[in-house]
Amino acid sequence: MILARHAESLLWAGRYLERAENTSRCLNYAANSITHLRTGEATAEGEMLVRTLGLQDELEAVGPLESQPQLIAFLLSDTDNPGSVVSAVVAVRENLRTVRDRIPIELWEEANGLFLRFPFLGHANAAAAGLHEVLLMVRRACLAISGILNEGMRRDEGHAFAVLGRMLERSIFTVGLLEASHTGSRGVMDATRMLRLTSSLQAYHRQHGNAPDFDSVVRYLLHAVDLPRSVLTCLDRAEECLTGLATTAVALDRPRRKAALLRARLELGEIEEAMVAAPVPTLQDFLAQFLELASDVHTGIVPPLAMATVRSQYIRPGAAPGGGAR
Amino acid sequence: MGEPSRQQASGLLDRYQPGGAFDEAFDADGAVRGPYRRIVERFRELDIDEVKRLENLVADEFRRQGITFTVYSEEEGTERIWPMDLFPRIIAAAEWDELSRGLSQRVAAMNCFLADLYNGGGQAIADGVVPRWLVVSSQGFERNAVGIRVPHSAHCNIAGIDVVRAADGRYRVLEDNLRSPSGISYVIENRAAMAKACSWLFYDHPVEPTEQYGRMLRSTLESMAPDGRDSPHIVVLTPGIFNSAYFEHAFLARSMGVELVEGRDLVVDDHAVYSRTIEGLVKVDVIYRRIDDDFLDPVAFRPDSTLGVPGLLGALRAGTVTVCNALGNGVVDDKGVYPYVPELIRYYLDEEPIIDNVPTYMMWDPDQRADALARLGELVAKPVGESGGYGVLIGPHATEQELDEARATIEADPRSWIVQELVQLSTVPSLAGDCLEPRHLDLRPFVLTGERTQVFPGGLTRVAMRRGSLIVNSSQGGGSKDTWILAAEAS
Repeated sequence: MILARHAESLLWAGRYLERAENTSRCLNYAANSITHLRTGEATAEGEMLVRTLGLQDELEAVGPLESQPQLIAFLLSDTDNPGSVVSAVVAVRENLRTVRDRIPIELWEEANGLFLRFPFLGHANAAAAGLHEVLLMVRRACLAISGILNEGMRRDEGHAFAVLGRMLERSIFTVGLLEASHTGSRGVMDATRMLRLTSSLQAYHRQHGNAPDFDSVVRYLLHAVDLPRSVLTCLDRAEECLTGLATTAVALDRPRRKAALLRARLELGEIEEAMVAAPVPTLQDFLAQFLELASDVHTGIVPPLAMATVRSQYIRPGAAPGGGAR
Repeated sequence: MGEPSRQQASGLLDRYQPGGAFDEAFDADGAVRGPYRRIVERFRELDIDEVKRLENLVADEFRRQGITFTVYSEEEGTERIWPMDLFPRIIAAAEWDELSRGLSQRVAAMNCFLADLYNGGGQAIADGVVPRWLVVSSQGFERNAVGIRVPHSAHCNIAGIDVVRAADGRYRVLEDNLRSPSGISYVIENRAAMAKACSWLFYDHPVEPTEQYGRMLRSTLESMAPDGRDSPHIVVLTPGIFNSAYFEHAFLARSMGVELVEGRDLVVDDHAVYSRTIEGLVKVDVIYRRIDDDFLDPVAFRPDSTLGVPGLLGALRAGTVTVCNALGNGVVDDKGVYPYVPELIRYYLDEEPIIDNVPTYMMWDPDQRADALARLGELVAKPVGESGGYGVLIGPHATEQELDEARATIEADPRSWIVQELVQLSTVPSLAGDCLEPRHLDLRPFVLTGERTQVFPGGLTRVAMRRGSLIVNSSQGGGSKDTWILAAEAS
């Protein structure tokens, strides 16, 4: 038995934890791979990252990014950008703070410890000077939090919601990446970028050789059953969480069925088949269904008169209230 | 080995000179008192760099764990660490035994008074023990609480009684806190931090443990379930993460293994309270609330409260839920009622008080007022409805203008003030710069009452961080110390 508010906090803690990690990975890519590109190419790569992270609206609010430091500041330390690493770290900490009575002490300490390094994180210039150290610190802390979540937390509903949040956010990121990548040239560079941004390059090389082919990578990121960041793996785990939760929380049966349906469409090859004729619209539709799934989970947790929870206003226009956040 | 004396000490304690107050560690001749013998030896072996390193270790531990409190007047952030001094406060077993008997006695009498006032027709008032006008004019008196039945007549389940040791070495009660006394989490976390940073300090000190508080509190709250229900559903009600004591609320819920809820997590239906879970509404039996009376139920009290639960008062009246501490305890927290507590002990228990009050003058009595205001410069004036050290005027530290203003304020509204003799709070060695110096301190022990009364061994020792200061409150820049109650054989 878990309070609806606590369930919501843990779901969002999971989502923001994943988001902090995803954005850090994007920043790492930006720092390593964009620097040597010509201005026009670098700008296009930056826009692609912003699109992958679903931050076009937030970017519009601050105006076009004219340099790499601007991109880094926007994604790392811009507190007005709810998708920045800093904002995600704050949101993880605040959501865990509301449930600190029911999570392992170490989990709270790790999230609080990351937050306490904030003055450094929040300072754009300092961060730019030691960007790799900052990103390494964030990613290590995220991995430590994940480790405690998986190894130190009781397998109760709270754990299931935190994992569910991570899987939803991860699926949305991977599908968003596939969609954004299809707007480019679809060459080796695009394929490699997709693998780097999902920490899958090494795994792909071992399985398919070191000359990534765009379509093969897309299939890999959609279907690989042994890849933690493939969409199928995420859906499997999300469905598993929802199945357990729906045995007592009947309102979560609807999102459980939706997750099962999405998995079936993927496993039966319907997505790939549709992508042959119209890849971008298909992926956009696929992404919209994940956002709808996230929204349904939220509705299943919180009664119709929604209770406010601690999170940034990171909700896409048109998304259901309280849900569908990317 | 002979008893070490201050004169023989070196390093950190070289320049230690107790002032006019009772010093906990050294007697008037400079000899180390029994319970402190070993700890003084240990500190003699330390140098200042090592002590500072340990202090930083403890501060880092608190920061990492987010063991913080909020000072509302500060603009910077909302969370601040409460400094802990490494030199512990030690109380011998025999001394603690007497103190805890006195605390139990005092809380028992105050519970009798509350039960009498809200459910017994007010016999003490009828018999002239406490003036009726004083009770009904108290901000803490809650008419809505009259007639609400409380299991075991235990209105005050968690009490924090502030005691001080005066220059004569005797303990006295300074204040009673029967609403939502805070600080127990710091007691337990102080001990945990001390044990992590310098476990060797505990060698040869059989110190009473502190980690059992969660079990004690849970068993107390379980005994408060309506109709003696088995395995009651208990929750801790917090105002939320922005409250100054949020860390403590989460700590208590975790140590009891119960949910930490906010008002919005609870709903009243058909005079029963339920929590909103993902499985639907689940009935709540006992609420350990950390919210003031005024905010508990916006239907009955402050309509602008968003922290409470609409309809909670109705559920209390129906007897389907117990709120701990009970509604209306603030009447005893009122410092205007405090002078009557010794008489309440005699009235209800037919016993002499084991712990005295600090001599107190009631400003509504014209004779006492005239005498007290004439020598206000030697005394301490306190507003009856405040806590946390706010509004206190310490005569010897005040300017003539401040004294005149206080006299005028008291003359204008005597009901709202008491004046007390200045107690030179006892001192104990505390780190100041590069050595240990005497600093004043008090003690807040916690008394739990349900089916039975238990005094938690130890309590929150608060210490003034500035030389000569008598203000120990965290909100006023005070710090804390680990409190060691020695088991009998070591004392």
